[in-house]
Amino acid sequence: MFKNEEMEINLGPQHPSTHGVLRVKLRLDGETVTHCRPMIGYLHRGVEKICENQSFFQGQVWTDRMDYCSAVANNLGWAEANEKLFGITVPRRAQYIRTLLNEFNRIASHLIWLGTHAMDIGALTVFLYAFREREDVLDINEAFCGSRLTTTAFRIGGLREDLPPGFEKLVHKFLAKFSSCLEEYENLLTENRIWKKRTVGVARLSAEDAIALGVTGPMLRAAGVAYDIRKAFPYAAYSEMDFEIPTRTEADTYARYQVRMAEMRQSARIIQQCMDGMPEGPVMAKLPKILRSEVNEVYHATESPKGEIGYYLVGEKGSLNPYRFHVRAPGFINLQSLPKMAEGGLIADVVAAIGSLDIVLGEIDR
Amino acid sequence: MNKFLRTLIPADIAKGLSVTGKHFSQVFFTANRRKVPFHIVSEYPEVPAKVQPRFRGRLTLLKDEQGEIKCVCCLACEKICPTQVITIEKGKKEGRKMPFPVRYDFEMERCIFCEFCVESCGFDSIILNHQFELAAYNREDFSLGTEGLGQNMFEPSHVGKFSVADD
Ligand code: SF4
Ligand code: SF4
Repeated sequence: MFKNEEMEINLGPQHPSTHGVLRVKLRLDGETVTHCRPMIGYLHRGVEKICENQSFFQGQVWTDRMDYCSAVANNLGWAEANEKLFGITVPRRAQYIRTLLNEFNRIASHLIWLGTHAMDIGALTVFLYAFREREDVLDINEAFCGSRLTTTAFRIGGLREDLPPGFEKLVHKFLAKFSSCLEEYENLLTENRIWKKRTVGVARLSAEDAIALGVTGPMLRAAGVAYDIRKAFPYAAYSEMDFEIPTRTEADTYARYQVRMAEMRQSARIIQQCMDGMPEGPVMAKLPKILRSEVNEVYHATESPKGEIGYYLVGEKGSLNPYRFHVRAPGFINLQSLPKMAEGGLIADVVAAIGSLDIVLGEIDR
Repeated sequence: MNKFLRTLIPADIAKGLSVTGKHFSQVFFTANRRKVPFHIVSEYPEVPAKVQPRFRGRLTLLKDEQGEIKCVCCLACEKICPTQVITIEKGKKEGRKMPFPVRYDFEMERCIFCEFCVESCGFDSIILNHQFELAAYNREDFSLGTEGLGQNMFEPSHVGKFSVADD
């Protein structure tokens, strides 16, 4: 009378916990996931092709719109890849300001992740508190470059403007309260039994699997691999900064939570160092009026809050725009680990796995 | 035994509740009594939102002291705009040596507020103002220009008058 049959369902593309327009095709045996495939492409805009038809200067606005939660980190990668292509040296003060804003961006991105991830699992309170602090970071973005989310913060060769007056006050106000805010989140989550039941041991991804799939960022560090591009291949002013790479070995959702929380602490430390050691000087290098590339190709990787974001640029002789542009999007590659994490687990844990990936679909689909 | 005790005494839940309780009492007992309230929600449409001085709002053409449009039609902004939303038609005006924009069209619906145009203008003749309530009911309201119905490149636009506060 009863048949044992597998059921196929779609999670998304309009499911609130898939963080955008991700569709996950699941085959279920009861509540156990036997097969899981992420389906992407709902937000494809062809950013790479658009950038090939725009000048090097204009391309930056499209990097804002890839990973819109960490626009500053994307801008930094784009600007530095171009500087590598043209052989420009950026003034030291500009490097420091870039590092400062990049770390603020990491905090903002991790706060979004914390809020939405906790909300997916059922802890709504953290969401409200996390967004309260994120608001301050966005105010700092707004004070520096005039926009909150799609920042277009940097220019090839440096910065458009120096720090605005009153910027230090904003930063110090934020730093003064941020560690107590982090404690608040941890009071709500770290020991909470419901949170632990939903995350400890859920969605494991071993270090071997993570490396084989090319997973980077907090996902990899939660598996015990201390790989961080800020330390491995320092860019901007990171070589002068003193910070640690937090790692965990459990490789589950809870470990990723701990790694990201620790990373926010380290970011606050880097910000403090940037403010203390801010050098004086110009913020823009001398550039030719029109940027024309030589035959050249560069790949430049930076550590965005989600992992390694790499920009691959090919220049043509005398061309105003890149001949080929490609982005190694961390979200896209991290997403490939979803079947590994979800298969064999419960369907409710798929949501936790997606949350712990910290994906932004604008970047995955591009 | 230890585990049993931990199940019996929900210390972790109490810890979480103390955080929310602290915030609740701060707001509840000091409501309307403090100069700087603890609650962070602003009563937005009634109380206008503050923006930072560098805020990037809507594109606005500037005029000089004589009330003349400052733009001299160098077309730099038209070329740099990543979404090609500016269209300028060069022209002449009597009693003016510099070229004069007969048409300066701005399709705001596609503007991404990047400020590249302002940066490229060597004559300081455009700015992005501080207006951010830029919603409208009709698509035509987003076509701004210097002449005709869309003659509103100089002031805060009529776009955005549909806020709750107006009712
Ligand atoms: S702000 Fe950017 S998109 Fe808008 S008109 Fe200026 S250059 Fe174009
Ligand atoms: S760049 Fe300035 S002066 Fe040149 S066309 Fe644009 S607004 Fe006019």
